[in-house]
Amino acid sequence: MYILKNAWISIKRNKGRNILIGIIILFIACASTITLAIKNTANDLINSYQSAYAKEVTIGFNRENMMKNFDPSKENSRENMKESFNNIANYTVDDIKSFADSKYVEGYYYTASLGLNSSNIKKAEIENDDQKGFGKPKDNAFSSSDFTLMGYDSIDAMNEFISGSYTMTEINDNAWDVAFDGNYAFINEELAKYNSLKLNDKIKLTSDDKDSYEFTIIGIFKENSDEEMTMFSNSANTIITNADAVINITTKNSDLKVNVNPTFIIDSYDNVEVLQNEFYEKGLDENFVLQTNEELATSGVSSIKNINSFVTTFLIMTLIIGGLVLLVINMINIRERKYEIGVLRTIGMSKLKVTMQFVSELLIIAFVALLLGAGIGAFSSKPVSNSILASEINNSNAKEEETFKNFGGDKMMGHNDRNPMKGMGVPVVSAYDKIDAVVNFKVLVELLGIGLFLVLISSLASMISIERFSPLTILKERS
Amino acid sequence: MANNKIILEVKNASYRYSDADEDDYALKNINFTFEKGKVYAIKGRSGSGKTTLLSLISGLEKCSEGDILFEGKSLKEMNLDKYRNSDIGIVFQSYNLLPFMTASENIILSMDVSGLKIKDKKAKALELMKKVGLKKSYIDRKVLRLSGGEQQRVAIARSLSYNPTLIIADEPTGNLDKQTENEILAIFKSLAHDENKCVIIVTHSANVCNSVDKVYDLPKNK
Repeated sequence: MYILKNAWISIKRNKGRNILIGIIILFIACASTITLAIKNTANDLINSYQSAYAKEVTIGFNRENMMKNFDPSKENSRENMKESFNNIANYTVDDIKSFADSKYVEGYYYTASLGLNSSNIKKAEIENDDQKGFGKPKDNAFSSSDFTLMGYDSIDAMNEFISGSYTMTEINDNAWDVAFDGNYAFINEELAKYNSLKLNDKIKLTSDDKDSYEFTIIGIFKENSDEEMTMFSNSANTIITNADAVINITTKNSDLKVNVNPTFIIDSYDNVEVLQNEFYEKGLDENFVLQTNEELATSGVSSIKNINSFVTTFLIMTLIIGGLVLLVINMINIRERKYEIGVLRTIGMSKLKVTMQFVSELLIIAFVALLLGAGIGAFSSKPVSNSILASEINNSNAKEEETFKNFGGDKMMGHNDRNPMKGMGVPVVSAYDKIDAVVNFKVLVELLGIGLFLVLISSLASMISIERFSPLTILKERS
Repeated sequence: MANNKIILEVKNASYRYSDADEDDYALKNINFTFEKGKVYAIKGRSGSGKTTLLSLISGLEKCSEGDILFEGKSLKEMNLDKYRNSDIGIVFQSYNLLPFMTASENIILSMDVSGLKIKDKKAKALELMKKVGLKKSYIDRKVLRLSGGEQQRVAIARSLSYNPTLIIADEPTGNLDKQTENEILAIFKSLAHDENKCVIIVTHSANVCNSVDKVYDLPKNK
């Protein structure tokens, strides 16, 4: 206890020096608080981006593997390749459910597409136009059909609307209440115009003229394409519905070939290889591979990571320079106080206790300066963090508005459980309106750690000096 | 039969500075014995090693050869911090008080360091100050505002604060006038004769040597 009492007496008597030490620690504390707050903000942004981009894997062709067996010099090589391509075992919705039953998979969604004709509407096309094939579905399996019926199993799966490729132009008020439950459809405005269709009209889709499936139009969308060379957009003959509606059709007519494209949300990109092997064990053809969205997810955070590494360097430099200045001040301080050390040692105070007294003095000053510094830094870091975030906040808000607009604007309201923002690359960033959001408990603990580190570093001088000083020599010098 | 009065024995003590030649001793084969209840003077010419001997006795330095026994126990085996803050009191020529503290704070600090457990340390400090002839009003006065003689009295009061049995003083009256010297000597004699303490004074003052119970002469080396 008397060590603290002595420390306090020493602090009071050396006001000038201690104020100088306090100012230096205060500066370091301010700089550290702001730096740590910026680091936290940057980490928040990175996390926001990373959570905005759900970790997804899709199933794609292993082209490299398939090309291995392709030798153009051999006769019939193209035909053989086409045949082997068509022979690749496709996967079903049940397969997808089986694949998704893995500890690495957190969720999944899929699209199911099917080629169909119609008995009451015409395909949007110009006779003898060269664009044939541009406006058609990508899969060869549907090349003989007029329309592609594209079924989504959830809003999460509706990538084209989320990314802005498609935008609703007309939509029923209750469209999103029924869209995933029954034979309802969204059609392209070009197809609507070509066939004079409007909302609530019914279209009949047929397969081989045997069966007919009726769909009610609940929305009309347009494709936002830069392609100016064609009369109709690629999706002109795409009719959008839910996945169950597509699967129901294929259940009734097993001759129809459905193309299912799943997307799996995984816990970590590190587990992709293990997951792929697990899929192979569950029956996935080895000509398929898992593809991730990692590159897309990480590309947006590179500038933030740069800020993060800059402030880390700044923090380290501040600590090194601040630590050195404190060390020098303490060395001068110790030289000035050699006599005091000599007296204390002569009257029997142990080296440890003398050291503890000197460290206590610094700790008291550091504690007060850190508190002040944390306070000043906290107030300063709020506007600093928000200015760093400003552009990201604007981007986020603009993107959010745009995405809702793609889904039909206010018709999407009330469907918060179906948040199209989530998982699709739209980071949800908001401004800090409270100081504790920036300077949180973690920052304070880090600041305390920095303070202790500085005190220990700058106390090294006193520790070493007290260890080295002979009290007799000191007192002789004084005499 | 052991003499119970012996408190300190210097046995063949020699001291050589670490950077000195092999046979260049500051002190060589010193043998002194000190008893409770007596005042001793150690005299010698400048460079005879008086202060070095005091440093050895007070545990601030260690013998190069030989030994020093306190109450029969070698200082080499003792915790010297504890020895200095409990068993012996040291008084220096230049007082060695902490100038930024008051008289009482200097005395109380010594009590704190020794781990003395008493309720009212300030009252005890006042009692000690009275004992060494200091006025009550000096209790909260910074030591720098006291005269040399008064500072030396504070230093003596400090050395008595934890009631040690051995008081070691290095030229305690070297900076003082004759009258003050006599007053300080009277305090030391009272401590030895009335309180059965052993007081060792390192000095080259003839007046001091004439006033003490026994004088040890330190031969000049070389």
